Amino acid sequence: MARTFVWPSLLFAALVAVTGCAEKITTPGRCPALCSNNDVQLADTLLTTADSADATARGYVLMNEATFLAASSLDSLRSVVLLRFSPLDSFWVQSATAADTVLVASPPDSVLCVLQVGFRDTTVHPRLVFYRLPARFDTTMTYAQAQAFFADSLVVDTAAVPDTGNMTFRMPTTLVAAPADSGVVSLGIKVIADAPTAVGLASGHSGSTSPALSYFVHGQAPRDTLKRSLSVAPTFAAFAQAPAPGAAPPGELAIGGVPSAHTILHLALPKVAVDSAGIVRATLILTLVRPVVAFPHDSFYVQAYALLRDHGPKSVLYPDTSVTGVAKVNDGQAGTVQVDIARILRLWGRTAGDSLPHVIELVVYGEGNHFGEVDVKGRSGGVGAPQLRVTYVKRYEYGVP
Amino acid sequence: MRYCAGLLIVAVVAARASDLVAQESVFGIRGLGFLDRPVSARSAGMGGGEAIFDGSSALSPASLAAWHGLAGWAVAAGSQRSVDVGTGTTSLTSMRFPIFGFAASIGSRLVVGISASDYLNRNWDVQRTDTVTPRDSAVPVTDRTRSIGGVTDIRFAAAYRVSSRIALGVGLHVLSGAATTAVERDFPNDSAYSTFAQVSETDYHGLGVSLGLFVTPVPRVLFGASARFNGRLSAQNPSASARVRLPTELGVGIYLAALDGVTVASTVTHANWSVAAADLQAAGQAPSRDVWGVAIGVDVALLKMFGQVTPVRAGYRWRQLPFLVGTDALSEHGISGGISFGMAGGRANLDVALEGGSRTAGALTERFTTMLVGISIFP
Repeated sequence: MARTFVWPSLLFAALVAVTGCAEKITTPGRCPALCSNNDVQLADTLLTTADSADATARGYVLMNEATFLAASSLDSLRSVVLLRFSPLDSFWVQSATAADTVLVASPPDSVLCVLQVGFRDTTVHPRLVFYRLPARFDTTMTYAQAQAFFADSLVVDTAAVPDTGNMTFRMPTTLVAAPADSGVVSLGIKVIADAPTAVGLASGHSGSTSPALSYFVHGQAPRDTLKRSLSVAPTFAAFAQAPAPGAAPPGELAIGGVPSAHTILHLALPKVAVDSAGIVRATLILTLVRPVVAFPHDSFYVQAYALLRDHGPKSVLYPDTSVTGVAKVNDGQAGTVQVDIARILRLWGRTAGDSLPHVIELVVYGEGNHFGEVDVKGRSGGVGAPQLRVTYVKRYEYGVP
Repeated sequence: MRYCAGLLIVAVVAARASDLVAQESVFGIRGLGFLDRPVSARSAGMGGGEAIFDGSSALSPASLAAWHGLAGWAVAAGSQRSVDVGTGTTSLTSMRFPIFGFAASIGSRLVVGISASDYLNRNWDVQRTDTVTPRDSAVPVTDRTRSIGGVTDIRFAAAYRVSSRIALGVGLHVLSGAATTAVERDFPNDSAYSTFAQVSETDYHGLGVSLGLFVTPVPRVLFGASARFNGRLSAQNPSASARVRLPTELGVGIYLAALDGVTVASTVTHANWSVAAADLQAAGQAPSRDVWGVAIGVDVALLKMFGQVTPVRAGYRWRQLPFLVGTDALSEHGISGGISFGMAGGRANLDVALEGGSRTAGALTERFTTMLVGISIFP
């Protein structure tokens, strides 16, 4: 009995093992005989008046919040760096446990300037020229106002920007003001080179490495055999630029720059453009008013965000950062900037996003990290107004039965 | 909102380079699907010749009269197919459980039972590559359309042994099922385009009744007849609905115990599927046609294995299938063999059948080999 039962059971098990429960998809067929009745149909629509309202607001990342300091001699952007360092400490603590302090002798033995170079154009051999600024210079001064202090008579030093690595170089000790004269050191930096160029220096803001003056000092007598290195960071680090960023001219929209600008677009969309499933590509086409301004030969990204709440310049961005659009732009780019916003349109078509405002906010990715700016035409820009090109699959008709 | 240039339907710029399909049968994509056969492994071993008399098949409700006491049965079928479409031959495999059921006697003459079997199989998968030019530049795409599901025939039936020579049967058939169809278009990973996907589910409902009659005019000879009258099959998805007339299915058979231990059986069936043609054409499908089927088989119970009689079976069948492939008619034939093993002291049977054959429509040929394993228990 048991023997009778066992081997047929093994046969059944073998059948299941051999055939499995899965379909193997390997067979070539032939259309139309062995294909479904309907095809997937792709359609393409250009919405020329999708931009129903737009606006630009500036000031999201301020000059003194940017992670870089731009020294530029570009025709499209001229800028100088403005630094103000704290006074050198008058003593140092030799032994903390014994409250043993040493008074600093003046002047210092030597001074090193330490700069982290974020961007440079090695093809034009840039040099930085350091100018002595008034200790208490006006931190709100414009590029034009600053020019009065960038006279040859005020040059402190010059230094070549190395092709790689950061800059550390000795400066004359004469730049240090006597403690009686506040001890504050203010410097202006401009760039010179074989051709117009720009150099980006780390500002010390938002986690970047700060410029520093490293003083090598010794103690006052009788402890003048003791030596020490004391580093001082700037209390103010910014740059003055021309043209100065401001409100976008009428009919224009700005994205990026420093202080950074955001552009908000209200989109009027037909139903076909808000379909969670059918949209395979959606391109927002922005027409540039002028070539893109950026560090020479550099590129950056324009990013589009959906909004959770539309409160104008203080709108709340949709928190899912995967639902964004992005476009890479290059220094000097002209023509158009094309941002793919298909993910945003699909979000608006889904249940989770159908109550969201049909508004997108355009920003520069990593704003405050570079001075790249995109200036485009607004809805009053005629043929150059923002357009939306949507490629979608027409709703598939399954057919019944 | 102003549209510029309206809608531009993107042109197909290249012939479909490569098409891939997979389904229960490659022909299942046509019409209502692939029409299944509600036969047990035992009947399949005889080519289906005995199906109208087989209590574990669902062709005639009168066949329930074959059971005495309590009975249950189930079948698993593994299939391997190769398809020749003129441009190449490839293989597919699948696994199904085409029928299972349960029956019980009430008194000495009445047997009631319920069974569930595949009626229409709508498992298919089509994948094809193409090139489109959505923005004046060619982009390769892969379109995949899949359907999973089908229509199940749930039969509530009763058979009554009027006398030792006559049995009657009646059945109520509930057709129920669903098919989930998914459409996808994939673009290359480095493309600027995103994948498109759309899913829809179609529900199916229908009713039918069947009648069966067995008559034994002389010893060793049994005649059987069945008729099944179907209503309309309702199909509904979120965007459309349709009702398709289903055929009246007729069957006759003879069961001849010519010699001791040797049985020959044959079944002939006919279904007027042409009644569905108008509804199918209205839905954009190819029309259907009336179909015939013939099956004949032999069961030889002379072999002994492990000390007990082990029936060995063989058979041949041919049938037409109702749904046209383009303009070509589809037909199927197969040769089968089988064997049966008694288990549990005669309270269970293990039936194994192996069937090979082909389906042909014009230049398209699908060859298949199916192994069916059925277990019947009658405690």
